[in-house]
Amino acid sequence: MELQYLLHALNLLASPEAVVTIVLSVFFGIVVGMLPGLTATMAVALLTGLTYKTSSDMAILSLIGVYVGAISGGCQSAILLNIPGTPASAATAQDGYPMGQEGRGGLAIFLATSASALGTLGSVIFLLFLTPLLTSFALKFGSWEFFLLAVFGIMICGQLASGGDPLKGWIAGILGLLASLVGIDGLQGVPRFSFDNIDLMAGFSLIPIMIGLFGFPEIVAAFKKKTAVIGELQSINYREGIRIMLQNWETIIRSTFIGVMVGIIPGVGEDVGGWLSYWAARMRSKARAMFGKGNPEGVIAAESGNNACIGGAIIPILSLAVPGSAPAAVLMAAFWLHGLRPGPLMMTETPGFLYTVATYLVAASFIMWALGLLISRFTVKILQVSPQLLMPVVFLFCVVGSYVINDRIFDVWVMFAFGFVGLFLSHMKFPSAPFLLGVILGPMADTNLRRALTLSDGSILPFFTRPICLFFAVIILLMIAAQMGLFSRLRSKEMNQEAGGTK
Amino acid sequence: MNKNLRLVLSLLIILSMAVALAGCGVKQQAAEKKEEVKWPTKDITVVVPWNPGGGTDLTVRALTTEMSKTLGVNIAVVNTPGANGSVGTKSVWNAKHDGYTILGAGLMPFTSYQVMGYMDQGHKDWITWTATFSPNVLAVRAESPYKDAKSLLAAFKAKPGAVTAGTAGVGSGGHMGIEIIRRAGKFEYKHVPYQGGNPAIIATLGGEVDFTPQLSMEMTDMFRAGKLRALASLSDKPLEIDGVKPIPSLGDELSDLKKTLPMGEFFGLTMPKDAPPEAIKKIDEAFKKAMQSETMKKFAKDKGVVLVGYGPEESMKKLDNLASVVCWTLFDTGTAKISPEKFKIAKP
Repeated sequence: MELQYLLHALNLLASPEAVVTIVLSVFFGIVVGMLPGLTATMAVALLTGLTYKTSSDMAILSLIGVYVGAISGGCQSAILLNIPGTPASAATAQDGYPMGQEGRGGLAIFLATSASALGTLGSVIFLLFLTPLLTSFALKFGSWEFFLLAVFGIMICGQLASGGDPLKGWIAGILGLLASLVGIDGLQGVPRFSFDNIDLMAGFSLIPIMIGLFGFPEIVAAFKKKTAVIGELQSINYREGIRIMLQNWETIIRSTFIGVMVGIIPGVGEDVGGWLSYWAARMRSKARAMFGKGNPEGVIAAESGNNACIGGAIIPILSLAVPGSAPAAVLMAAFWLHGLRPGPLMMTETPGFLYTVATYLVAASFIMWALGLLISRFTVKILQVSPQLLMPVVFLFCVVGSYVINDRIFDVWVMFAFGFVGLFLSHMKFPSAPFLLGVILGPMADTNLRRALTLSDGSILPFFTRPICLFFAVIILLMIAAQMGLFSRLRSKEMNQEAGGTK
Repeated sequence: MNKNLRLVLSLLIILSMAVALAGCGVKQQAAEKKEEVKWPTKDITVVVPWNPGGGTDLTVRALTTEMSKTLGVNIAVVNTPGANGSVGTKSVWNAKHDGYTILGAGLMPFTSYQVMGYMDQGHKDWITWTATFSPNVLAVRAESPYKDAKSLLAAFKAKPGAVTAGTAGVGSGGHMGIEIIRRAGKFEYKHVPYQGGNPAIIATLGGEVDFTPQLSMEMTDMFRAGKLRALASLSDKPLEIDGVKPIPSLGDELSDLKKTLPMGEFFGLTMPKDAPPEAIKKIDEAFKKAMQSETMKKFAKDKGVVLVGYGPEESMKKLDNLASVVCWTLFDTGTAKISPEKFKIAKP
């Protein structure tokens, strides 16, 4: 039975029409993913409109192609410009950008693209096996768990991106949380910090904030000091690339697993998947000190983690009709528009669809790999362009990218405002990434905590009685405790007292 | 090296132009000079002030695809979510009132913008076509102890303020539905708002809340799969959904409720009422024809909604009714700060 479905899907793929469709849509996805401001969510939404009238098979093929392309395409701008093309690739920039600055941009893109492809492929295996079984895992996440997951995400991001001082990372994360509170609150519909301004009531959109935070400081930095243009680009040594990939097989498997699990949980998506995998890789790595300074393992972990979310995010669509991430939500809408009914009835009504989606994902990830590497031959040359010439163009992208999200000029002002915030942060050596994640996860932390407290009549006991909560609570407390321990150790050394109980 | 540089730069410029085009294409067309007699002479934009995939989005996309066949031009659906749908609504009002920019609306939040202070205009300043109606349905998870509406109503009375209701947020269709039941049944419950209908339904499935009063169209497949149990509907007669046994009207249990039924969310199109008459006429024709189409019939059957197809007059009556319920409920619960009296909205 399964074989028959698989053959049917392969049959669909074999037509010339399908080949052209998937190549074009993956290419479109990569380009959109590369451009800051155009996200995977938007790419899928845009294409949903365009493919409305085509046959449903071709439409879904192209949407999956765009989704896979866009999530992986973001790595290129993160590596080359330190501006993540999509929020999902913010973690990639941590090690990818330093690699690019060393002239190893080509290698970094090779690793990122290969890791993306492997992450997607790995997630397909989970998709095939988990979809029929799952549903209970996602349902175990209630308001309490979501709140702690959000806090956990911001904290690990703060720790990872801080370059040595987690406190600065956490401060940036909390500032991001505060920025996300502007607008109509998600629970009671009360406008906060909006001063009766309709644009502020709608809150700050994520994309202008991201572009401002990451793009602006880069643009200003390019004019502040004369940076040396990298003269020698090391050509991609594929053998070395493959060797590094093989060395990190463990990282790839771990990141894929983490990515899939994050993908399954509704409300958290590719961005968190990338960060969590990066965190796990750093915790496990022997070369921990090299992270953030151009460690290939970091790039591999982040990219296989964020791409594995794709398969993960599709699992609850097919089993529960609940999208696991934002682009997956648009994908689900597209399924509906094409007469498919994702949800609890999918496996009984159209069991073949699971295999169709899986086949399309596999095809898309192979094509993404080939196209990504092909494109990188051209894009990597950006590193050789003098920043003073390049940055005005990038600036144009920043403005246009902020505007096209909602067609609102207000978003361009938001981009400028957060551009100055980004400048300030980078000047004071606060990392921008936790700020961004704070903005992303802020609403989740805020509404879930208040909802949870409503449910328990104000008692915080459930944090310690629910198993998943307890797990997160313990890790969070340990992270804080480790931080305080470090402080006391430093202080005791300085004051030259006996270092006694502080290890 | 020089050649490479030029290649990269020209590539960038081409891409930037592509981005600019993608973003502005729709807008530019809408900004062109309006034509006189013949309507429409160019593509129409429908702004959906909610995310793709929601009830409004799905309804409007199905409807406009049919309407574009009659009108002979493309209808582009644009999602502009934010501030409970008021950002997109405002953008339609601020666009030219030439019929080329239409709002795809869920009518319940649409009536609340005045009392919430989001907009100066109320539903009376718009001309509206109502396509579909999706009643509230009281639903519990399959393992729930509540087997029918009677046992749930009894639980409200027995444990005041302890039975939890998961809704899509304050002022959402689900919240309005349960507030109306609360008034008629004179009981207390605990309101647990989520960010959207789907999270509320998942919370019901997962057992975080006792029941959900969300809209039928959001739960149809969960009913079919037997994961959720429908106890009662806020329709005036039993609600029929393909593959689910008819859901009784709550009016049978709670007779005080009967006068406010049917209650639920209405989806349709609306635009500033001072749009040119020829545009109104053409849209009216296309709307009526689309409502007769097989596509819409199939959509209604699949999604568990009722095709109503109200023209502007009937829609206005419905809106007056909705506005009084919605605005007064928001005002009485303290959510809305401006009294509906200011806008001459009658008490329900």
